Amino acid sequence: MEDISREQSDSSSLLQMRGIVKQFPGVRALDGVDLDVRAGEVHCLLGQNGAGKSTLIKVLAGAHQPDTGEVLLGGEAVKLANPTAAMRQGIATIYQELDLVDGLSVAENIFLGHEQATFGFTRRGEMFAATRKLLARLGHGEIRPSTEVGRLSPAGKQVVSMARALSHEARLIVMDEPSAALAHDEVTNLFRIIRELTSQGVAVVYISHRLEEIREIGDRVTVLKDGRTVAVGLPARTTPTATVVSLMTGRNVEYVFPPRPTGGFGDEVLKVEDLTVPGVVSGVSFTVRAGEIVGLAGLVGSGRSEIMEAVYGARRATGKVTLNGRPVKLGDTSHSVRIGMGLAPEERKAQGLLLDQSVARNITLASLGRYSRFGWLNRKLENAEAERLVKALDIRPPDPNRPIKTLSGGNQQKAVLGRWLVEGRKLLLLDEPTRGVDVGARAELYALVRRLADEGVGVLLVSSEVPEVLGLADRVLVVREGRIVHEAPATELDEHHVLDLVMDATPSHG
Amino acid sequence: MTVGQDAGGPVPAARVRGMLARPEIGALIGALVVFVFFASLSEVFRSPAGIANWLDPASTLGIMAVAVAALMIGGEFDLSAGVMTGSTAIVTGLVATRLGWNIWLAIGVSLLFAVLVGFLNGYLVMRTGLPSFIITLGSFLMLQGLNLGVTKLLTGTVLIRGLADVPGYHSASMVFASTVSVFGGAFRVSVLWWIGLTLLAVYVLRRTSFGNWVFSVGGDVRAARNVGVPVVRTKITLFVTTAVAAWLVGTITILRLTSIQANSGIGQELIYIVAAVIGGCLLTGGYGSAAGATLGALIFGMVSQGIVYVGWDADWFKFFLGAMLLVAVLTNQFVRRYAEEAKR
Repeated sequence: MEDISREQSDSSSLLQMRGIVKQFPGVRALDGVDLDVRAGEVHCLLGQNGAGKSTLIKVLAGAHQPDTGEVLLGGEAVKLANPTAAMRQGIATIYQELDLVDGLSVAENIFLGHEQATFGFTRRGEMFAATRKLLARLGHGEIRPSTEVGRLSPAGKQVVSMARALSHEARLIVMDEPSAALAHDEVTNLFRIIRELTSQGVAVVYISHRLEEIREIGDRVTVLKDGRTVAVGLPARTTPTATVVSLMTGRNVEYVFPPRPTGGFGDEVLKVEDLTVPGVVSGVSFTVRAGEIVGLAGLVGSGRSEIMEAVYGARRATGKVTLNGRPVKLGDTSHSVRIGMGLAPEERKAQGLLLDQSVARNITLASLGRYSRFGWLNRKLENAEAERLVKALDIRPPDPNRPIKTLSGGNQQKAVLGRWLVEGRKLLLLDEPTRGVDVGARAELYALVRRLADEGVGVLLVSSEVPEVLGLADRVLVVREGRIVHEAPATELDEHHVLDLVMDATPSHG
Repeated sequence: MTVGQDAGGPVPAARVRGMLARPEIGALIGALVVFVFFASLSEVFRSPAGIANWLDPASTLGIMAVAVAALMIGGEFDLSAGVMTGSTAIVTGLVATRLGWNIWLAIGVSLLFAVLVGFLNGYLVMRTGLPSFIITLGSFLMLQGLNLGVTKLLTGTVLIRGLADVPGYHSASMVFASTVSVFGGAFRVSVLWWIGLTLLAVYVLRRTSFGNWVFSVGGDVRAARNVGVPVVRTKITLFVTTAVAAWLVGTITILRLTSIQANSGIGQELIYIVAAVIGGCLLTGGYGSAAGATLGALIFGMVSQGIVYVGWDADWFKFFLGAMLLVAVLTNQFVRRYAEEAKR
């Protein structure tokens, strides 16, 4: 690969990591990683799942010790022996899970582990004042220091995490997918805060799967692949997407969507008439035909997920829903499954997976009836079917007995979709199917969804990523404030047009 | 979408809900109901002598419940807490009567013993990563066997007696086992220990770094570790605290009775957990209150004596205790859900 552009360390480097190697039993997670971050820049870290991003940031956070390699901070070699040591050096890490304790107040969370205390007794007044100052600096003076963190929204929690980073007088803040849990306008606010911080000389290492975000907020990009640095310091705004993706995957993959079928679609599978969820969805009607992928585009809170959940029966609703001409009992998910619906929910980990159970178990879960007689499971049959599906779905590693939590996000999602690959499914509901899935694995998921459709299944898709809806769906329904405001074949729409429709007359509380 | 709460402070209704969301609210309501109930049925129950009478069992239980509540907030259990009240008393008793040491020295030895057992419990839990339920179940059974075996081996009986003749008994008894007369009620000094420890625990949990650490290691141990909270030290300290609380109760017991049974304290460990849960502790950790645990102990004391005062058969006591537990937990859950609605 000729794109490697190792720069000579210049004096403006805040952080330099050189030749970092980290070996775990059976895996070489980092195999000579270099990273160079300047003060006041947003440095994006890109790489597929398993490329070594999480291990690298854990080394930075002091949670892992590298086997070889050196870390220089401001030109001096430092040893980050544990999280506290890293924070003392001014490196703060905001993990995706945010690391907040719900039962403690905002101020207590911010100063957790470095309380302002005299002989162990906390100086509350001081901590409250400092908290107010930090929150104001982040533009969120309205969050009260005494509020229990468990009562804040995800965006509020993120602000608290950032305030905590600032409270350590961080010179370098590492953010692991900070936008994953945020709605569109909250991401805008996040970027405002990041710009504020960098203008004060703080460096930010930003990790995200969303290339659009990296273009918007990033200054330079470092790409990791298989535990190695394959590109250092690419300009974030001007490097072509194709270059970035090919660096990440090592092959020339475009943001590939499978081709749409040339022929027409089959009969109407799903017919929704006047579906209403009080306060969220008002009088929505649409259809999905066999073999067709219908995409719902809309902002978080527009009602797009609620429409899907109501169709599936996971939410109380009124209206008329028919599947292959048979009326669907609203609010009864087990009936929905029995007559041929399948849902891959948005929060895969919370709603869709038994994390400690095997891959096989997770795949066959929804169709256990198929392998049982008089309530007794036929394990042999179940395992054989699971094995077949693991192969068919190309789940890696191809071991049906592995606990599913040890798989990457993309492979977990394949297993969730695999549940519905068993015969007899008529309608598949996909809510954010590629959230937390890297670019390479996305293409495989898209192909899988299309394959299901080609087998005659109707697919209803919800995604907050407009290009995904436009690329994968055949027909797009634009949802705004609980109504379908536009409907068109995907080929007749472009991203700009959809975004306009989606955000038109932005709701007041929005 | 709002990020935080409104800037101008909560409206009154929200404030009421915020108050209701406190963990000890269920226990507070429960304690008031139980008090009014028995006080209206029995005149003795509300007399100073009666109050002194039901505060006594509440006090020794309360000392333990507060420590156990802190441990539970920190995300751990200690099933050896009950038997430890017996073990520490036995150590004191054996050292004082067999070696003839001054009682204060004997108490000091058993304090060291308690610290050691608490440390071992905590160390094993942290070192092995096994659930504290299992580790302390092991130490519970071992101590139970030791209590009986060692006592029988050295005294030939299951009872250690003769504490009153040991040097220093009088002064030690003053500190741990005396009674104070107030308005004609003979109040045990253990009530003062209980109140003092409750205040200390409430203050430490809510107003010190250590208190924050306790909530964080119980609520989200990974987060605590990532921000540099000394997780191992915090949890071991909690186990040691529980063992030391058991030492205090054991000392109170042996000085009061001047003797100790080899099976003393066994079976109490679950009562401590019951009191803590009535007081609002979650079994999952990270949530709870020392004041609530104390109120739980108070309910326990009032019911145990109240049943006698109103002339019911004391055999029913456990039934009431169980019912109280369920009612308190359901109330807590209901109230919390109501309070949670405030944020939606």
